[in-house]
Amino acid sequence: MIEGASGFVAWLGAALIVLADGRRGLAAGIAVTTVGIAALVLEGAGAFDAAIITAAGIVATIPGLRSGEEWGLMPAGSTPRLILCIATGLLALWLAASITTGSGVALRFAVISVAGLSGTRILAGDSSPVLLTAVGALAFAVAASAGLSSGSPGPWPYAVAAVIAGGSAWLRPRTANAA
Amino acid sequence: MLPEAIELLVLVAAVLAIALVFSPAAPRRQLLVRGGTGLLGTAAIVAVPTIDLSILVLLGLAVVDAAAGGRRPFAVRLRLPALAVALLALALAFSRFAGPDALARFAAVGLVAGLAAAVGLVPYLHAFDPEEGASSSPIVWIAFVGPVLATVLVWRSRGLLSADAGAAFGAILIGLGLINMAWGSLGAWFTANTAAAWRYSFVADWGLVLCGFGLTIADGQRAALLVLFTIVLGRLPLYLGSRQALREKTDTERPVNLIVAAVLAGSAPSAGFAARVLLLRGATQLYWPLALVLGLGMLLWLPGSLRLGRSLGRPRGRQAFGIVVVVAINVLAGLYPLPLFSAASL
Repeated sequence: MIEGASGFVAWLGAALIVLADGRRGLAAGIAVTTVGIAALVLEGAGAFDAAIITAAGIVATIPGLRSGEEWGLMPAGSTPRLILCIATGLLALWLAASITTGSGVALRFAVISVAGLSGTRILAGDSSPVLLTAVGALAFAVAASAGLSSGSPGPWPYAVAAVIAGGSAWLRPRTANAA
Repeated sequence: MLPEAIELLVLVAAVLAIALVFSPAAPRRQLLVRGGTGLLGTAAIVAVPTIDLSILVLLGLAVVDAAAGGRRPFAVRLRLPALAVALLALALAFSRFAGPDALARFAAVGLVAGLAAAVGLVPYLHAFDPEEGASSSPIVWIAFVGPVLATVLVWRSRGLLSADAGAAFGAILIGLGLINMAWGSLGAWFTANTAAAWRYSFVADWGLVLCGFGLTIADGQRAALLVLFTIVLGRLPLYLGSRQALREKTDTERPVNLIVAAVLAGSAPSAGFAARVLLLRGATQLYWPLALVLGLGMLLWLPGSLRLGRSLGRPRGRQAFGIVVVVAINVLAGLYPLPLFSAASL
């Protein structure tokens, strides 16, 4: 039950990243994604690996929450994005629960939905905070997919994903120049 | 660690040194900082023990490269490498799921699509600005980070796929390779801008690499390694050497331009010729009509290469010496490529 809820929470976080335009909304998205992925990692890999993901999620959330900008959740014209989130969730659920077999349905669902939604957000987004937040969620999805392999991946995928997610939230990209 | 990838990493380090020493027009500090960062990131892609970590390092490297700035906006610089990571992550997940065989074939499609997006090949060509500096240009990404990255991805992917999906993986690589060959060589021939023609010529060479990777026999792997060698230690330094003439828009047709054109076209006795012979031999062993298509496609290199050779202008001083060194290295590797193969355990 908790595993299933964690998968749903991870999808919800990625959906928030897709639906938000404001920095606070994006921070809420990465925070919720972190909760979902960390719970799944706790179940599969252990407390230490889950702690790494949680710490990175906190570091990635702070700059957005402190920015003082609006939440920007579901601005006008975001209906196609909402449909995308629901369709991706249904497709991921079908693949994870019906097409594939074996244990770890929630992890499979979370990996497919978070990687799919964050990849789509990166393709469609233009502003740096949107892209960097989606990159953080994508890093978590890649690290979580390492948990699908037959052997134990060890803490390294989670640690590298944590550095990427935590670091990218604080990054200030240079603007385009004529250099 | 993969010996082939380590060898390519050494070559990448060598081309950075060549660019620093022989390229008079390049801003050295910027080249050193960004080239050094790229080299470190590329080394990390090879050094990490699993494909998951290689993909994460790629994501980190893409963010750093995009954030370092250039003429293209941040979003444009980051978009395709990040999309590649998403595609590769989904492909890895599909390869690990238990279920119908079709899932493994989807994984093969995702791996090839992710590889093309990561390197910047058709159908995921990175946005290109002819006026962009050498160190932040997608041409440098395609020839500096791309070879090592592609080698790591292809070799590590093979361990994840079943025999059936592995065959599909090879077939998709060959198909995409042929498309890149045609697109790149025709683009290098017909595009109006000469800097864009250089970019298309890299894409065409990458088509040969993909075909080599797709032929799962030794000749194919050897051909892929040799073409990657010509990209890293042939085409890339020659492109860097041509940048000043490109800016000044000077086209000359002296013997040195024709020799460079011959090297770029893969004429004997350069390494490109040996690579083409190996590729054709490998294709003949597997399915002779493929060799016919490859042979016809290889003819398309000639017009574009003549154009690119002319765009080198009239090199002088250190730059001329650098071009002689690059041509000599390519001829040596073409005449005696065995040390390259044995270092890569091929």
